[in-house]
Amino acid sequence: MSALTAKMRTLLSVYYAYMLEYRAEIVFWVLGGLVPFFFMAAWSEAARQGHTAYTPGEYERYFFAVFIARQLAIVWANWTFSDWVRTGKLSFHLLQPLDPAWRILADHAAERGVRLPMLALIGLVFALLFPGALVWPGWAPLLLGLAASTLAFLLSFLVAYSVGLLSFWFEDATEIFELWYVLMLFFSGMLAPLSLYPEAVQRAVYYTPFPHLVYLPASYWSGLEPADPRGFAVLGFWALVFFAVARLLWRAGRRRFSAMGA
Amino acid sequence: MSVVVANRLSKMYQVAEKEPGLAGTLRHFVARRYKQIAAVREVSFELGEGEIVGFLGPNGAGKTTTLKMLTGLLYPTSGRAQVLGYVPHERRSGFLKQITLVMGNKAQLIWDLPVLDTLRVNAAVYEIPEVEYKKRVAQFAEMLAIEDILTQPVRKLSLGQRMKAELLASLLHHPRVLFLDEPTLGLDVNAQVAVRDFVRSYARERGATVLLTSHYMADIEALAERVILIHEGRLLFDGGLETLLDRFAPYKEVRLDLAEPAPAGAFDAFGEGVDFEGRSVRLLVTKERLTGVVAALLERFEVRDLTVDEPPLEEVIGRIFAAGAV
Repeated sequence: MSALTAKMRTLLSVYYAYMLEYRAEIVFWVLGGLVPFFFMAAWSEAARQGHTAYTPGEYERYFFAVFIARQLAIVWANWTFSDWVRTGKLSFHLLQPLDPAWRILADHAAERGVRLPMLALIGLVFALLFPGALVWPGWAPLLLGLAASTLAFLLSFLVAYSVGLLSFWFEDATEIFELWYVLMLFFSGMLAPLSLYPEAVQRAVYYTPFPHLVYLPASYWSGLEPADPRGFAVLGFWALVFFAVARLLWRAGRRRFSAMGA
Repeated sequence: MSVVVANRLSKMYQVAEKEPGLAGTLRHFVARRYKQIAAVREVSFELGEGEIVGFLGPNGAGKTTTLKMLTGLLYPTSGRAQVLGYVPHERRSGFLKQITLVMGNKAQLIWDLPVLDTLRVNAAVYEIPEVEYKKRVAQFAEMLAIEDILTQPVRKLSLGQRMKAELLASLLHHPRVLFLDEPTLGLDVNAQVAVRDFVRSYARERGATVLLTSHYMADIEALAERVILIHEGRLLFDGGLETLLDRFAPYKEVRLDLAEPAPAGAFDAFGEGVDFEGRSVRLLVTKERLTGVVAALLERFEVRDLTVDEPPLEEVIGRIFAAGAV
């Protein structure tokens, strides 16, 4: 077992305990992410009136997949890092022989461990409320969807972390990430299946990360439209880009750190 | 060989200046003005293996900034910092594994979890084997008398317990160089003594080098033989504590217990810093005048008790900084 694996294993178990302390807060956070179900209700109603290409059951399946994909890719690295810089907590992490990014990554991964049982519970309630909406996608689509979701999480994490690193220059840079969220809301398939968007819009945003962050895993899981595996390459490319951006910002920003408050 | 080297170390901060009110806010928005503040100016000193050195200065003198440069948290604006042969701000793993910085006003402990969880993280981060980790925790916890609090959430601990746990977490990896920034800040006398004793034992056992800042001169007197004085970012004095007292405290503290109350101002001619309360009198007398003054006091007043001692270090340092001339 490599040294980094051993460090991450301990960080994960300790941060899992830490996140359990905040379980009530995480419940509300999960509930705050129920937005896709509102869009589901609207689109299902439109389908019942015969106005759209899919059936109400297909929308239910799709938006449940969107909900899960979104829940698995939620990040707050921008907020955490910005807080560390502003309050000087970063100092303690700089004193230790471990890149602070690993701590924040472990923090996110451990939180997923607390969130997953809640998602399972919501899935159960959903299955009871919408019998027949959830169908087994098969092992391959399930695993491919999970892989796409993991890649989407990694990319979102790197973007959020890069935004957090801007706190070396600005007092509070966390809100810049809102721009990412807005673009994701419109172009990731959270509002509606992307197949319903005009062709020109689909083409224009295809090589940006947004259409693949949610729509790719949701397509694998819901089977609404054939998933486009090229989305992995797009996500991978942008993940590499933001990895490089994060490293550059880290190197340049460290010089500016004033360790205020510590 | 020097373990810690600060060579003409300087740190400048750029600080934005803003006038109050709406006009000031608008001016600040369109034409921001900055001011350069020199936190540390060309400070040079060296620390040898196993030395414990007190780092003194009033608030804002540049002590913490210097420590932050020596631990690699800050890049120096100019000059050179070297610790154990490493350039601190490069944050090499070999460097980070051999140093620690304890800040009395900041905690690394995870607030909502038991102390042991932070210790587990530190053991993993510093790659301390499980058996060794348990041995060190048991040893340090016993020395600090905190064995029974390690499983309690940090938020439930008293300030003294937290500071002891903080020390345990900071020294778990057996650092060779300790940078201690006000480690006894806000602690009661018993906790201060416990922290002091622990630092002394650790340094002696492991031959560690310690650079210590404290507002409590008792810390400095108990631990350090050498002191470095810094004021407004400049190094004022670097030498033995005794030398400092000889050079800058050329007076003795005389305490009198009188049989009868004396009129106010009766002692002004005898010395400086007269502290007069009922029948108790305290004054500072220069060493040259001491014999004559004591004889005169005994002749002029009915004295029940008289003691002559070194003045408190706080007062000596305070006078040096107030005079601004070292």
